[in-house]
Amino acid sequence: MTAGSFYAALAASSHCTPGCSEKESVWRSGKATLYRYRPIARPTGAAPLLIVYALVNRPYMMDLQEDRSLIRGLLAQGLDVYLIDWGYPDGADRLTTLADYIDGQLAGCVEHILKSQRLDALNVLGVCQGGVLSLCFSALHPQRVRNLVTMVTPVDFHTPADLLSKWVRKIDVAALVGDGNVSGDILNQLFLSLMPFRLTQQKYVDLLAGSPDRARLENFMRVEQWIFDSPDQAGAAFREFVVWFYQENRLAQNRLEIAGRKVDLNTLRLPILNLIGKRDHLVPPQASIALQRLIGSDDYTAIEFDLGHIGMYISARAQHEVPAAIAQWLASR
Amino acid sequence: MQSDPWQQWQALAALFTPGAPPVPQAGSGRAGASSSAPFADVAERFSAAARAYLDGATNASASAASPSRVEIARVFSDHLREIFADFQLPWSTGVGPNAGFGSASPAFSPNSPALGASREHQQRWERIADAWRRLDDAQRRLQRLGADALREAAADFAARLGPAPPPAVSPEALRKLYDTWIDCAEDAYARAAHGESFCNALAEYVNASSDCRRDLQTGIEHSAKFFDMPTRSEINTLHLRVKSLEEELHAVRDVRKPARKARPKAAASKAHPKRRRGKR
Repeated sequence: MTAGSFYAALAASSHCTPGCSEKESVWRSGKATLYRYRPIARPTGAAPLLIVYALVNRPYMMDLQEDRSLIRGLLAQGLDVYLIDWGYPDGADRLTTLADYIDGQLAGCVEHILKSQRLDALNVLGVCQGGVLSLCFSALHPQRVRNLVTMVTPVDFHTPADLLSKWVRKIDVAALVGDGNVSGDILNQLFLSLMPFRLTQQKYVDLLAGSPDRARLENFMRVEQWIFDSPDQAGAAFREFVVWFYQENRLAQNRLEIAGRKVDLNTLRLPILNLIGKRDHLVPPQASIALQRLIGSDDYTAIEFDLGHIGMYISARAQHEVPAAIAQWLASR
Repeated sequence: MQSDPWQQWQALAALFTPGAPPVPQAGSGRAGASSSAPFADVAERFSAAARAYLDGATNASASAASPSRVEIARVFSDHLREIFADFQLPWSTGVGPNAGFGSASPAFSPNSPALGASREHQQRWERIADAWRRLDDAQRRLQRLGADALREAAADFAARLGPAPPPAVSPEALRKLYDTWIDCAEDAYARAAHGESFCNALAEYVNASSDCRRDLQTGIEHSAKFFDMPTRSEINTLHLRVKSLEEELHAVRDVRKPARKARPKAAASKAHPKRRRGKR
């Protein structure tokens, strides 16, 4: 393939869209939308699984394309899957707090599912920062969550390998946020800075050096789109998250309060599955492993995958292993 | 894409920039690179340096001490350090006021007496100038730490190449050298980035940017008021009022909910007699 045809193929791939599984919007509140995915396999009869994604990126990474979709993998296991899409906050959301997200929108999604399915509790899968929100929700509303799965979720924010945490420790977050939101562009720069040579150089050399087939280029472009599709962050919630979790490590130190109520992980008695990426540069394994010593549950399982943060969603290996692990664990409870 | 991706960087870079100069041969410098693909420039320069190293080291004496190969490896690693010294680390763009207000530091002498009706503006500009100086200083510290990391990476890279005879020039050999270099650069950068000096400098960079932006925003608001235009502060005040009203509304609803639930059945049936009849 010549440089010209490669350029044309790359340009054509730029217009491919992420997402492959059919879903419908079933509930909305503010910018948040709750989606329910259409089943593709015989239902297991398990309680519905609500995926709580992070605020800092878009959730379509969970359903990027047919051969790179954890959601599709979960649907293939017969699970009834819901997903919260937090949307793109704008200036009108600058005062939205973590309590608004957890006790308002997340709680609203849960209530909708429970009411529509006449259930008392459901299963929750919290991803990355969404795992932190899920832990808080589970601690505040223990009767609403039957089983909790956390995936690449930081709990102890002061582990030695946590570069992000070291960087933000001395930043005046209130001044950074000011009265507004935090631009997604700033977060992009921050994440690239964690491994600048790999993420801004080597990645593109890999692109050229590999096979030029269309499927590979489209896969690359979808991931590229996701990486830089970073919503602005609601100012108040961002400030609370960085100060309370990254700077003060309140969750791990049992000092966290949301909307005036204590979030005590030791009160968690439900079954918990913790999925950890051994090569995760954003959430070091130790930051996730800490969960075990903080919870009160006797039913705790941790599975470590030899994958990085993004590899946990989109690597070929993750497609085979992660949904199956979740489904088997849920089925045994 | 093809057997040697390195030579294609220039061709691709030219395509990213319509009207760019004709595609030069490998090793001929930076022409053909574009702002759309800055990585192409670095990769292309790497390719040229790596070819020179492989050719030079292959022809060098293979004597026991092999000083010439070590020397060639050192020259190559130093060259890589220089190439990557031009490379802008992501934190150096987009965070500070440089992104939106240009790079010229405002000229104000610090601690000059603030007198008269414009004293508040003078003080604000002094604060901006001070923040700009802090920003500049922090950026220099970060650059210095980055340069130190690259020097470490170059030394590590030269040591890894060592006196062993290199493979013949091939796409695979170039790729292996490149990946080794990236490993060395990333390892050295990580050591620096975890260090207290880097964390302090980065925090100071962000904090000075925030201070600068706050005072610039105050100045813009002052001008906006002069033209009777709405300001951010005004909208914030209104926004806070709406938020407060929403919270009061939720609180009232929460109080009313249990009261409705506790309402006696007889009273409820009176309130909806028609619906009850309809159900029958």
